[in-house]
Amino acid sequence: MPNDGTKRNEFLLEMDEILNLPAGTLRGDEKLENLENWDSTSLITFIAMAETNGGVSLSSDEIVTCSTVADLLRLARVDGDAA
Amino acid sequence: MSDITELSAPETRPVKPATAKLPVAAAELMRKRGALKRELLKQKNLVPKRIAILGGSTTSEVKSTLELFLLSEGFEPTFYESGYNRYYEDVQFENPDLWNFKPDIVFVHTTWRNITQFPEILESENEVENRVRHEMARFEAFWDKIHEKLGVVIIQNNFDLPLLRPLGNLEASQSFGRLNFLMRLNAEFAKYAQSHTHFLINDILYLSAQVGLEEWQRSNYWYAFHMAVGPTATVALARSVAGIIKSIYGKSKKCLVLDLDNTLWGGVVGDDGVQNLILGRDHAVGEAFLDFQRYVKDLQRRGVILAVCSKNDPENAKAGFSHPDSILKGEDFSAFKANWNPKSENLRDIATELNIGLDSMVFVDDNPAERALVSAHLPNVAVPEVGSDVSLFAGILEREGYFEMHKLVQDDLNRTNYYSSNAQRDAAQASFGDYGEFLASLQMTAEIGAFVPTYLERITQLINKTNQFNLTTKRYTSAEVEAIAQDPSTITLYGRLADKFGDNGLVSVIVGRVLDEEMEIDIWLMSCRVFNREMEFAMFDALIEQCQMRGIRKIVGVYIPSAKNGLVAGLYGTLGFGSVEGTAGGRQLWSYDVPAAYEVKSHHIRRAAETVTVALDEAKATVPTVKLA
Repeated sequence: MPNDGTKRNEFLLEMDEILNLPAGTLRGDEKLENLENWDSTSLITFIAMAETNGGVSLSSDEIVTCSTVADLLRLARVDGDAA
Repeated sequence: MSDITELSAPETRPVKPATAKLPVAAAELMRKRGALKRELLKQKNLVPKRIAILGGSTTSEVKSTLELFLLSEGFEPTFYESGYNRYYEDVQFENPDLWNFKPDIVFVHTTWRNITQFPEILESENEVENRVRHEMARFEAFWDKIHEKLGVVIIQNNFDLPLLRPLGNLEASQSFGRLNFLMRLNAEFAKYAQSHTHFLINDILYLSAQVGLEEWQRSNYWYAFHMAVGPTATVALARSVAGIIKSIYGKSKKCLVLDLDNTLWGGVVGDDGVQNLILGRDHAVGEAFLDFQRYVKDLQRRGVILAVCSKNDPENAKAGFSHPDSILKGEDFSAFKANWNPKSENLRDIATELNIGLDSMVFVDDNPAERALVSAHLPNVAVPEVGSDVSLFAGILEREGYFEMHKLVQDDLNRTNYYSSNAQRDAAQASFGDYGEFLASLQMTAEIGAFVPTYLERITQLINKTNQFNLTTKRYTSAEVEAIAQDPSTITLYGRLADKFGDNGLVSVIVGRVLDEEMEIDIWLMSCRVFNREMEFAMFDALIEQCQMRGIRKIVGVYIPSAKNGLVAGLYGTLGFGSVEGTAGGRQLWSYDVPAAYEVKSHHIRRAAETVTVALDEAKATVPTVKLA
């Protein structure tokens, strides 16, 4: 899959939706613990989204090591870097 | 008109914003959950419901998805969730939090993972049978306790199948196979459902197959979150549970409105001619149209009202059904609009003609422009995005669960007959100058009596679905109706009405609460099928008989205004009740002194029943009725 900035931005917009935030709120450097709506439901939705959009299968173990939105983007392979 | 929409006036005002429509794709629905919930909560007149989810696995995803589907159906749910896998303990050890929650509905979300003991390999048939009995005894004790303590409807998952099959195909064929064992339990669950009206099955055996077992059971979600059902499959599960709940509360759709050209047959009948329509087994697409027609016919057989809404000359449109392979015939349709008017106008006319709400209708059309127009003009009509491939139409309708029914009674099957005979009634009425003469010509016969077990399901159905001729719009579950029927301090009456054109079925219900020499009307409703036929007078005459026999001197009439029952705002006044001043709290009270000598009000309905049983309790006396005409 292409790992360009467009994909990253699309993913951030979808994360905005998951977290019920206005479009364009998330930039990527936010800490998950500071996001009010980050809970088990948004976590599950994030995993499902990564699977649906990116064909990536994530375990919760991988996710618990994440502390920022950027970490999630990296897991979902949409961080703009080579996978 | 539908017996269950009951006088719901054709709704032309949107009651919910167009944005309330839920996306079809599970991933999109999950992603937009927050925004969707916010939009859906803006709807007016949401009906609060208390749902207890007792889970054999994690239920938070089930709850948040079910919440969306219930909101989209006009409910505002409040939830109780058992602790993880505490479904059994919560009930058997009487968790006060559950008891105090006072749910309207209990949903038991168990799966194959909650089986306590699967058979051992090579175990004998007797031993396996004992295990089935043991498992059933455990579940039955659990369900019985819910019913005894909470008296509510129980929605119970049956069993899905494990993804892994250590015994391979022997899992299905051998009695000790796990698949075989689960199928036997499912059969036992079904038997319990057949004998307990308050107990409904949510068929996850089917849902898991529909979704695909690998998608249904996602091992990463199980090990990470102990979700027995994966997140996208949870959408299918929640949609199904919401479908059952909407059926319980009378919100299932009642009428399927169909376009014709390229929807029920391939081609344009007006241009191509009947003989050139693509329909039949000798053509791949023709076979798909045929199968869609068969599906529609099956829906009609189980009581879904059919209507045509087509841009066509009426003669051409009707001629299409003369195609030798057509399964559907013109007489299958209760309303037939073939003209060149906008389809939204025709849909409104159909709603008026059938006297059902626009929110009871589903419109299927292969043309995306027509679908978009109807959606824009009539947001209350369900317009599924069926696309243009007829081979997918039935599956899309099926997935949406528009016509879910939690019970099927004879009156449902008779519904479409009623519509046919109603056209004859309308024609007959037109030939009479005097309405009384018309009523006399109908040769109407009523059977009016106290609630009897045979009719309790139909009575419950009417209580939960009737909107217009409904004085109080109180809703009761089947368990509550059963209790009312056996309560000696109530007067209950059902009314059936037949005429020379056919049987209208059970169409009216009254429940009165007796306190000393007074009776308060708790429920009085009537199907719109028989409005303006004096059936309300016949029911009132029967009620007076009962009051006289029980020494009741005063009837308190209660009218609780709703958005849909303005039709009966003046009923008590018409019957001679006096308005009680100063009533508040949304209840308007009326008073009627029961006279010693009463003059019957119904003059055109002959009473057929010879006796009226006062209550279900056989120990109670049966009392003779007075012939009304």
